[in-house]
Amino acid sequence: MIGKRGKLLIVLYMIFLVILFLMCSTDLIIREPEKEVYQIAVIVEDARDDNYGNFRKGMDQAAVEFNADVRFITLYEEMDAGQQLDLIDRERQDGADALIVAPVDEKVLAAASGKQGSAPMVLLGIGEPEEKTAAVVVDYRKMGEQLAEEMKKRIPAGSHVLILAEAHERSATAEDFLQGAEAVLEDGGYDCRRVRPEGEEGYREVLEALPEGKAVILAGTPEALAEAGGILEEDPVLAGCVQGLYGRGSTMAALNDLDSGVVTGICVTDEFSRGYFSVQMAIEALEKRGGHDPLVMESYYIEKKDLRKSEYEKMLFPME
Amino acid sequence: MRRCCFLWSSGKKKKILALLAVVCAFLTACQGPREEEEKNSIRIGISLYRGDDTFINNIRNELEEKAKEYEQEHGIKVTLDIQEAKGSQSTQNNQVDRLISLGCDVLCINPVDRMDATVVIDKAMTAGVPVVFFNRQPVEEDMNRWDRLYYIGVDAKETGILQGQLIADLYREQPDRIDINDDGVVSYVLLEGETNHQDAMVRTEWSIQTLKDEGVPIERITGGIANWERSQASALMEQWISSCPDTIELVVSNNDDMALGAIDALERAGIEGVNVVGIDGTNPGVEAMENGKLLGTVSSNKEVYGSAVIELAASCALGEPLPQEYPLTDGRYYWIPQEILIQDLEG
Repeated sequence: MIGKRGKLLIVLYMIFLVILFLMCSTDLIIREPEKEVYQIAVIVEDARDDNYGNFRKGMDQAAVEFNADVRFITLYEEMDAGQQLDLIDRERQDGADALIVAPVDEKVLAAASGKQGSAPMVLLGIGEPEEKTAAVVVDYRKMGEQLAEEMKKRIPAGSHVLILAEAHERSATAEDFLQGAEAVLEDGGYDCRRVRPEGEEGYREVLEALPEGKAVILAGTPEALAEAGGILEEDPVLAGCVQGLYGRGSTMAALNDLDSGVVTGICVTDEFSRGYFSVQMAIEALEKRGGHDPLVMESYYIEKKDLRKSEYEKMLFPME
Repeated sequence: MRRCCFLWSSGKKKKILALLAVVCAFLTACQGPREEEEKNSIRIGISLYRGDDTFINNIRNELEEKAKEYEQEHGIKVTLDIQEAKGSQSTQNNQVDRLISLGCDVLCINPVDRMDATVVIDKAMTAGVPVVFFNRQPVEEDMNRWDRLYYIGVDAKETGILQGQLIADLYREQPDRIDINDDGVVSYVLLEGETNHQDAMVRTEWSIQTLKDEGVPIERITGGIANWERSQASALMEQWISSCPDTIELVVSNNDDMALGAIDALERAGIEGVNVVGIDGTNPGVEAMENGKLLGTVSSNKEVYGSAVIELAASCALGEPLPQEYPLTDGRYYWIPQEILIQDLEG
């Protein structure tokens, strides 16, 4: 027979085992400190992410540093404002804590955002920033003006400037950029002519019909710059008729063309920092830290000789 | 020695058993509720061996496109987390940890080192997350470790045979087009992928074997490893052009990027007429072919590639039966169809 003391020991032993079990496999006694992981959805205006390479690197870097779970979402059809609103709605319903949006149409978004949930939104805006808005802004009109000023230093007054616009005026970014550039060039006495891509041939036909004498080409979008670069690379005779090819954007295609001399000069922004700061701003908005003033990104004009300069190299080819 | 607990009276035993039952019930309740909701969203973690490989970039674009199509067709939200391992297996292993911790339902892995997929498999097995490997086939022993491991890729032997056939068919139709100096022997140089890489070895072996089997008189001048890279291939080709001037008639390359590197070197040297064949059917490769620079390539169907990876991954994530349109060999392998692309020699 077991004594009273023995029974007590067995009961104590069992209680000890139960406590041990509770400590090991449940959080009833020892609670692990919960690390809050913010769910952030980034919804851009494009159907592809080609123009967001460095932006995504910056975004991923910030995601690791701020312990955020950042999802990058492209549209099914580029520049579809309705679809973007649907996606914003979907992400909010799926529990996104914050949203970073490159709006297809800022007015449509502003009208709709009042009706929707309370998750803070950071805009990847364009143009003149509004005060008290959480936004990382690039002023594309100023960028266009800056590029045109640089072009004026390099090309003789009175030159023909062929401006490659989009097939349809859908992107406010491209329009702002071209308007800024055109205004400066026309004031400077340059003969500017806007052309649009035609059918499957794209810009080929318009480039092949370049005006007499040497012309300068200004591409309104990174896509137009890449296409024009490709056409000139393939056709040395045509390239001989071109005094310079200018544009914007730091896609790999643009940088390769700049390096190979096909592109003369481009205007760029620090896309890595833009991605990083947008996530940081979203986190600050969630934690009710920091102001809500917009951050305006600077634009830089670069040529082939600048590619290897350390300040630009770090910006254009960021290490993750 | 005293026997203790087994000598208790039956009444006490009942009390103790009842107490244990209560404790067990309590502990079970502590485990928390189980989620048995029907899934309307899935998260797919993708790790690529390198982000600057043209072929892998083409596949990445297809994966993104197909994920969107799947989302629209099935009404299930698909989140892709895409990481690039920059050629480091240890980076890829860390990425797998992060993807699992992010709650990915399935992993799609393009292994850095196909001989060393063990760690990835261990992590996935521990987390209970199925893995769809693609493009670089893990060794069979690894693949056999778990029934939730799959592989999607091209059959390297078939690729090699098709590349050999591309040249042999043209040689039969227009021997002068291949045997440029008309000496009865086709002198070739070989650009190979990584050392000891199974695909590189198998592609080379079967491409050359097919040429021999088809009766093409070939003679190897030299060859080298260019690690699938355009710049390395270009440098090698430059050396060969200077060391073996006017002898190279054909460049057989294990992929399109290296073939384009050879073309770069030939253009720099101002040499025309040398035939260059590649593999993969990448966008720049096909463009070079259309421009008359690349003789031909063996192309895997990228659209099928993207669809197969996404459909299989989604089925695994949702716990649904595997898609019938992509029948698996041995229950775990799906081979992507391939075709020969050759430049328009009439035009």
